[in-house]
Amino acid sequence: METVGTHVANSGDTELKSSDRDHVSHLSLDIGGSLIKMVYFSSGSSSSSEDDDDDDDDEKHNYLKDGINTSNHDGSRGKLHFLKFETSKISECINFISSKHLQHYGDQDDKDLASDENIVKATGGGAFKFADLFKEKLGIVLDKVDEMSCLVAGANFLLKAVNHEAFTYTDGQKDYVKINHKDLYPYLLVNVGSGVSMIKVDGDNDYERVSGTSVGGGTFWGLGRLLTKCQSFDELLELSRQGNNRVIDMLVGDIYGGMDYSKIGLTSTAIASSFGKAISEKKELDDYRPEDVARSLLRMISNNIGQIAYLNALRFGLKRIFFGGFFIRGHAYTMDTISVAVNFWSKGEAKALFLRHEGFLGALGAFMNYEKNGFTDITHQFMEQSCEKSNLTP
Amino acid sequence: MANLRGREGDQELRIDGNSNIDNLADDKSKLNFDTGRDRGSTVLDKEEQLGDKDMAPMAGSSIHRTLSRPQLDLSGAAIQGNFEEKDPTILLPNQSDDISHLALDIGGSLIKLVYFSRHENQPVNDRRRKIIKARLGITNFNRRSFPILGGRLHFVKFETAKINECLDFIYSKQLHRGGMDSRSWQTEGPNTENTVIKATGGGAYKFADLFKDKLGISIEKEDEMNCLVSGANYLLKAIRHEAFTHMEGRKEFVQLDSNDLYPYLLVNIGSGVSIIKVDGEGVFERVSGTNVGGGTYWGLGKLLTKCKRLSSGGCFDELLELSQRGDNRTIDMLVGDIYGGMDYSKIGLSASTIASSFGKAISENKEIDDYRPEDISLSLLRMISYNIGQASMVAKLIDIVISYLNALRFGLKLFEASVVLPIFRSKGQAEAMFLRHEGFLGALGAFLSYEKHGLDDLLVHQFVERFPMGAPYIGGNVHGPPLGDLNEKISWMEKFVLKGTEITAPVPMLSPGTTGLGGFEVPSSRGDSLRPDASKLNVGVLHLIPSLEVFPLLADPKTYEPNTIDLSDHGELEYWFKVLSEHMPDLVDKAVASEGGTDDAKRRGDAFARAFSAHLARLMEEPAAYGKLGLANLLELREECLREFHFHDAYRSIKQRENEASLAVLQDLLMELDSMNEESRLLTLIEGVLAANIFDWGSRACVDLYHKGTIIEIYRMSRDKMQRPWRVDDFDIFKERMFGSAEKKPHKYKRALLFVDNSGADIVLGMLPLARELLRRGTEVVLVGNSLPALNDVTAMELPEIIAEAAKHCDILRAAAEAGGLLVDVMINVQEGPRESSLSVPLMVVENGCGSPCIDLRQVSSELAAAAKDADLVVLEGMGRALHTNFNAKFKCDALKVAMVKNQRLAAKLINGNIYDSVCRFEAATSPSFS
Repeated sequence: METVGTHVANSGDTELKSSDRDHVSHLSLDIGGSLIKMVYFSSGSSSSSEDDDDDDDDEKHNYLKDGINTSNHDGSRGKLHFLKFETSKISECINFISSKHLQHYGDQDDKDLASDENIVKATGGGAFKFADLFKEKLGIVLDKVDEMSCLVAGANFLLKAVNHEAFTYTDGQKDYVKINHKDLYPYLLVNVGSGVSMIKVDGDNDYERVSGTSVGGGTFWGLGRLLTKCQSFDELLELSRQGNNRVIDMLVGDIYGGMDYSKIGLTSTAIASSFGKAISEKKELDDYRPEDVARSLLRMISNNIGQIAYLNALRFGLKRIFFGGFFIRGHAYTMDTISVAVNFWSKGEAKALFLRHEGFLGALGAFMNYEKNGFTDITHQFMEQSCEKSNLTP
Repeated sequence: MANLRGREGDQELRIDGNSNIDNLADDKSKLNFDTGRDRGSTVLDKEEQLGDKDMAPMAGSSIHRTLSRPQLDLSGAAIQGNFEEKDPTILLPNQSDDISHLALDIGGSLIKLVYFSRHENQPVNDRRRKIIKARLGITNFNRRSFPILGGRLHFVKFETAKINECLDFIYSKQLHRGGMDSRSWQTEGPNTENTVIKATGGGAYKFADLFKDKLGISIEKEDEMNCLVSGANYLLKAIRHEAFTHMEGRKEFVQLDSNDLYPYLLVNIGSGVSIIKVDGEGVFERVSGTNVGGGTYWGLGKLLTKCKRLSSGGCFDELLELSQRGDNRTIDMLVGDIYGGMDYSKIGLSASTIASSFGKAISENKEIDDYRPEDISLSLLRMISYNIGQASMVAKLIDIVISYLNALRFGLKLFEASVVLPIFRSKGQAEAMFLRHEGFLGALGAFLSYEKHGLDDLLVHQFVERFPMGAPYIGGNVHGPPLGDLNEKISWMEKFVLKGTEITAPVPMLSPGTTGLGGFEVPSSRGDSLRPDASKLNVGVLHLIPSLEVFPLLADPKTYEPNTIDLSDHGELEYWFKVLSEHMPDLVDKAVASEGGTDDAKRRGDAFARAFSAHLARLMEEPAAYGKLGLANLLELREECLREFHFHDAYRSIKQRENEASLAVLQDLLMELDSMNEESRLLTLIEGVLAANIFDWGSRACVDLYHKGTIIEIYRMSRDKMQRPWRVDDFDIFKERMFGSAEKKPHKYKRALLFVDNSGADIVLGMLPLARELLRRGTEVVLVGNSLPALNDVTAMELPEIIAEAAKHCDILRAAAEAGGLLVDVMINVQEGPRESSLSVPLMVVENGCGSPCIDLRQVSSELAAAAKDADLVVLEGMGRALHTNFNAKFKCDALKVAMVKNQRLAAKLINGNIYDSVCRFEAATSPSFS
């Protein structure tokens, strides 16, 4: 059911220096169609004990968490926590906030507002949909922040402030890529959530959503559930690991009698039509192994996202494509397929880049939206720090 | 040219032979193909009986070819070769021959077959035609030296699973006999041993042995992409209104400029999707593609809906049918689902935009069986359609995707769809275009890969597309085995009437929404507009008539639009459908009577009525089903339909009777005219043309009128009632042009083309006197008549006889007709007398190249085009040619359009007038535009 370990293992444990140890706690939410992503900041003094608590919660509540540690100049630490809940189980999220008293760590500094009103930055469609619920259950007023601007702010922050955030993935090999802050823009940000948004980013808060597709993580999960009766996204991913897509996909070789169609660069193993073999055979759904179905599905969607992303990058002459969003999950085959798609269509000229904090771009962006949170300063300071500590390795 | 549209109804995708030999072949074709070997030997026997092919390949082939021909033309028969031989070959040089050529595209699910049946022009026995050829200096109608003289390009589909039907079809049509390698093309030898057929698609590899076994033909494999591209290039250049855009549920046909075609993107949707950038003939690159295509829809759909039909094609259709009734909102996660019913307007996503396909299946505790298959199918269809739109996006292509998606939203047929995206056409929007022959690109490309097919440089105007009887029923559907003769067709027709009423019942179309950037709005919550059979466009048989030309006097052929009334206005369409429907019983009566009122004629009349009603119903439902629809097309369809049921001239006896009645009073009229001075005579003549134009069996109002008096009574009454000014009255300008004024000198026209309309009073008392006046003033006159009968319109074939009869009463006409060579046949009937023929300007007759009450001046006969070269006046007479069509046409020379409006609606719409208003429009020459 849960692959917390996998994800946490991929996450950074990056230290940040906080310039303001007195305002350490902030909460922000990204409430998507499938998942609620949460980021909160806790002060350094309680960090170790909270870690223990969180582990217990993971068992109980079925959410993920992740952290980026921060430290200020004089060495005391703060920590950015990353958690997720299923949107359909929003009450778990509310219970969690309530149990941690996080609702009080909204924008406490805003003196213009009534003291009993806690403002929490939130983005994603759910910020609109569930505003009343949050108000009712927690007395929180959700301050809605635009989804795209959050994604961009989150990505920009991660790429600038967190060392070794981006990596390429080729043949199972993860290679961290050093991003030169001065040469970051423009890039294409592909956020693969339930659906997919493709955003051309030209600078801080300078971006445009150039494309998107409805075939995303929600499709994988939804179709996958229908086809395999899997109970969770992660289970489905796990299944796909063991599958063989050739059972269901129609390959070029299937059409050309085992030959390549080399004239247009298609090898006999290239997929000509996803699920195309299901046409001609007299098999029912139950006659296929769920593993193979999951594999074909994953490959179809990943390949598709990679291709459309590349085409958009090409369209705007963008050299870098960063893939984020919870669909990716650091899942090897997903990343591999996306990488291969980008590589194929760009004839080797472009590479897919992935982000370690892939799922939290929006939540992080919302977090960055707090004014006077000192975080901008944090970023700058951290950047300076990371330059000093350039030998740092993960 | 008499076989312009073919006398035998070979417009069907079927055999229509009548001869015994032919039926024999038909019977054979019904045999199961398991006995293919046996049949092969039977055919061989037949050849041996008929002639030794080694000795005389020509004759052998021509007799052999009669197997699929209805009748042999025995004229000019001669023994060929050695007279001492025991069974000498007989050469029949005058076959209106049918030589076929064949190419295939064998895909995973469908076989597409393109074949060409060649019809050589009939031997020119018609004296009028010979004379006009000599006079106009037309040396050869078939000016082309390459082999194709004319014929028909047929498009047929079969399911790959039923490949035997396809083999059967090829055999019964004897297509493999005519299949050309370059040698058989030249020699027309039967050449069965080494027939090579071009084929593309994966099946060209897979089924090569089967074709060799069953039909003895070798398959030559052609590259798939190559075929797609050359097929698309050809269609876009050579077929009128091949491409159309699909916006807001309405199809708009587009004529691309063949000089400005490249580059474009070709998106070919099969099991997978290929996206090809085409830069020119044979210059292309597959720039993109996606493996999420039709196969994915079908395969995933089958798994998800447990589609039960065993036949593979059936399952695909069932999925599409299911999607019509689906509601994808139950499974797709919409923007509104995420945003609590609100739009995400900042980035142009409305609440109904799909955010995540199948996204709702995540969170609910439903299993696959808890979802309606309809909803699943629609959701899947949307997902794949939109995705193809996304994947079509290539470098430097901006915004095309959006229009492409718009197009895809309506009735996308995922399988075998082809989309053309012009790249940077104009600066503004480039819209995705669909092709009517979408499934046939590959097959056509394979066909074109034959050398010396001679189709390379054919132009748009040389193809006439015909929709045979079965079109409304079979639509673009996969085709079954061929039908036999007319009787079989009629029975088939009867059988399908029930089914047809279902199929052709009107379907409500829903109005669409809009979509934002990158957003995929659901066009409607329901999938009704995705009804597959409604969205399918028919593909007719392309009649290749190389002798057709663009009328040289059109001021701007590129912008010329024949139809005055736009039938895309649904109200207009409804009205004309009503008119045609109401007129039908009367027409059927006339048609049956014209064939002697026999039982057979009644049966055919019945079948005609059903077939034409079915066409109308189909068009009512989908006005673009047969391409761009104008009133002219509709009227022509009716005539074609009559011909298809072997009613070649429904109004024959009526025309004769009225001609005789009118000719009887002509002399009186001419005397009356001759007593007038020139100027009042011209007015009376024009009045006469208008008055005589009231006699029109095509007009309901006029048919009613006939019960009230005799021809001459009505004519006189009608003429006397002509009160000037007429509703459109340029008479004074015309008069000034003819006679001059204080400022202007009179103009003497060198040659006038008179496009005539009806038989009877119209031609005899209206147009002939006008022609006579022009002749008298020294203007050569060319009467332009229909090539084939249409209603009571006078045909070019009938005109010489009418003129000869009129010439008995009038020296001017006689001399001119003699000068024009029209009286040679009938000279014995004309009294001997002093001749002044050498002094007279000639009166000539040419055919216009069509068989419709209207005329599309982009497609006229070569003799009309030749006659037009020296003409400086065009007179269009009658509603069909001057109002329904060509009312707004501009000419390089002076043009006079004269007609009486015999339809209230048209009067109101066109000239803001009333029924029986008159139109006399004169337009001076338009200088050619250099835009």
